[in-house]
Amino acid sequence: MKNELTMKYKFQLTFGKLLIAVFTLSVVLPFLYTFISALFFEGSFGKNLLNKVTLYLLLKSVVLSSIVALFSTLFGAVSGFLLYKTKIAFRGVFKIALLLPLFVSPYILAVAWKDFFFSVFSNTSFISSYIGVIFVLTVLFTPLSMLIVGSALSNINSHFEESGLLITSFRTVVLKIDLPLIKPALIASFVLVFIFSVSEFSVPAFFGVKVFTTEIFTQFSAFYNHSLAIAQSALLVIICLLLLFSEKKYISDAPFFSIDGKGTSNKIYDLQNGNLFGFIYLSALLIVSVLLPFVILFVQSFKDGTGKFIQAFELLAPTFANSILLAVAGALLIVLIGFTAANYSVRQTNSGKAQVFNWLLLLIFAIPSTVFGISLIKFYNRPIFNFIYSSYAIILIGYAGKFSFISAKLIENALKQIPSSLNEVAVIEGVSPLSRLIKIFIPLILPTLFAAFIIGFIFSLGELGITIMVYPPGSEIMPIKVFTIMANAPQSLTSSMSLIVFSITLLIISLFFFSVKPFFKNYNYLDD
Amino acid sequence: MKNLFLFLSFFLLLIFSGCSKNSNEVVVYTSVDQIFSEPILKDFEKETGIKIKVIYDTEETKSTGVLNRLIAEKNNPQCDLFWSGDPMRAIVLKNKGISIPYQSPAAEDIPAVYKDPDYYWVGFSARARVLIYNKSLLDSSDVPKSIFDLTNRKYKGKVAIANPLFGTTTFQIAALFQYLGDKRTKQFLSDLKKNDVVITTSNGDVKKRVIKGEVACGLTDTDDAHEAIKNGANVGFLFLDQEDGIGSLIMPNTLNLIKNSPHVENGKKLMNYLLSGKTEAKLAKSCAQMPLHKGVKTPDDVPSLDNIVPMKIDYDSTANKLVEIQSYLKKWTESNY
Repeated sequence: MKNELTMKYKFQLTFGKLLIAVFTLSVVLPFLYTFISALFFEGSFGKNLLNKVTLYLLLKSVVLSSIVALFSTLFGAVSGFLLYKTKIAFRGVFKIALLLPLFVSPYILAVAWKDFFFSVFSNTSFISSYIGVIFVLTVLFTPLSMLIVGSALSNINSHFEESGLLITSFRTVVLKIDLPLIKPALIASFVLVFIFSVSEFSVPAFFGVKVFTTEIFTQFSAFYNHSLAIAQSALLVIICLLLLFSEKKYISDAPFFSIDGKGTSNKIYDLQNGNLFGFIYLSALLIVSVLLPFVILFVQSFKDGTGKFIQAFELLAPTFANSILLAVAGALLIVLIGFTAANYSVRQTNSGKAQVFNWLLLLIFAIPSTVFGISLIKFYNRPIFNFIYSSYAIILIGYAGKFSFISAKLIENALKQIPSSLNEVAVIEGVSPLSRLIKIFIPLILPTLFAAFIIGFIFSLGELGITIMVYPPGSEIMPIKVFTIMANAPQSLTSSMSLIVFSITLLIISLFFFSVKPFFKNYNYLDD
Repeated sequence: MKNLFLFLSFFLLLIFSGCSKNSNEVVVYTSVDQIFSEPILKDFEKETGIKIKVIYDTEETKSTGVLNRLIAEKNNPQCDLFWSGDPMRAIVLKNKGISIPYQSPAAEDIPAVYKDPDYYWVGFSARARVLIYNKSLLDSSDVPKSIFDLTNRKYKGKVAIANPLFGTTTFQIAALFQYLGDKRTKQFLSDLKKNDVVITTSNGDVKKRVIKGEVACGLTDTDDAHEAIKNGANVGFLFLDQEDGIGSLIMPNTLNLIKNSPHVENGKKLMNYLLSGKTEAKLAKSCAQMPLHKGVKTPDDVPSLDNIVPMKIDYDSTANKLVEIQSYLKKWTESNY
């Protein structure tokens, strides 16, 4: 019996270690190889790497991304609270509808907003500015914050809130119980949105706003100076690592409370008069972040009849199966890696080695996509790796590198909320680590695993920056087709393609939700 | 367990699909818009039975994605043929030692000016830089006739050009430096900036802003202007500096064979096909590109190179000039006068 337990434990440890080793060799090593080559063997940067201009641009990017992260987290937290903790009318509809900006490429959203400003105000100077970049990125990332904070809010044990309500006011319960409990989620949201914003290139470039990523892009595309671009991107990585370091330090002291039995019992508040204000807030958010840009896309698609829409469908149809299967495979990989990283991080908090995996995930997440794409080419484009470089495996490596950090953060937050007493009891009872994992931990965090899968799927399906650099010749991939066709295509065709991509994403996600709903009926998390 | 095995097999099949090498194929990277290049490449596939594998570029990457990929792939090339929308990228590849010379029989009657003297690149179907203008905002008498008119105060804030660090706008500015000299071109650019020229992300963006009336006119390529008119926009276009002026910049498509490529012979076949008069006729029809071969039949609305005064430049020297002025252009783009 003891031998069997030891074997299972060893298997679990070996699998985890193997996965970490594979990730390090296949995803991290290409960047390190390219970075070291660029820095020590190819580059002669002189003052170009660090001078007044680059430092100023870096500072600008940091300020801009901080503002976006702050606004997104603020709006996301309020929306998350209203949707997951109150009885606001139509909250099921809002929950789905407010996620829609996540399905659209930042570039297309920027184009739609600019068109909107021109159609309504005959002027685009307001949107073609820092304010415009902050606005569009905030609209884009608020759903992500809403998901992260909403998930944390729905995991709070109702016993704490109900006990609080017996002795104090609703306002005090929210401020003194709910808010401290979701602090890790708020910080996670800020960090994620910051990193997404600071490495975002297409929106500032489209609005003509110069930031650090546009400088890196210029080095690539105007000067073909790959070495300098790679070295400059390391500065972004350092900032993100510093941010995560402070987050880790802060969160390690944050209190985590237990969840009960199977899933959570979520306390739902009745805001009474506040319901109306909440409804108005959500409606306003829906109008600004979803309805206006989508109406613009819709009007542009059909202004000349249905011809362009049909043409767009015919152009994109060959890409559907490939892209969806690739995104599903990517999302599964992302969840597997995220879960392994989170499990190590939570269960071996005192081990320095366990944290290394998390840092590696962040390192790749923080690199601008183009730089990561070039790293993958430089490392994998050799005869020995042809089976990877000439196949979809290279794209999956890109997805895994870019998005596993997000799933690790989500899953880590969920795992941290499982009471250690459950694990301790199982250990005393002699339950093997593998059985504890399969029978206790995974069932308790199943909704979070599903949320991580959905987010991984959405991001993989829309990924462009890395995919455009590495996709195998002749392959048909949806976002690539949209962007290669949109050059010189009429606006109605471009808008039609965006609408189709958006509809396909929504359809697939709805199918996922309906397929898993029977399995999750005991989880409040997926209500509505 | 059986299901898991089936799932894993399917998963592996999916991710490693496409890695098989086939001798009867050709890999082409192109910066020419997919909407125009794809039909021609598909015709080649149909006519020869050689499978075409293509990497197209995107406007978001300023059409430099494939060039960066070619540079990064230098030590183990995957591409056989690079089809560029202008000669600048072809010359970058030549200078970086990524292409090889090939004297295609199909290019014999193409004028020497549109070919590399050592055959590292060959040009065909050309576009030109033109002025696109909004007919509602400018009467025909008010439309600028020379590029230097754009610095006139009456066009203050009404002219758009794409970011000169990228694409054919870089080419045009480099050509001005080559033709006029540094001093005159810098003065022109300074005056343009003082006249509040609007700098956009791409030529496509210039076209859109002119169509919408955000600006009265802008510099773009013939295919952009032609596409706008084809889609019913109320715009016109003209070739600048035609009367006693410096002429208009002519930009042929170009082809490079890639050094150490996997399918050299098929690459040559595709190159010969693309250089034919038949391809030029198709490009004239789809995007108003002007044939370089004599006697190619074109639609009536496609201008003929015989009727345009070209800017007399040497493409190689212009490419070298471009490298020299990039830092200046970066400063110019970022500066506020």
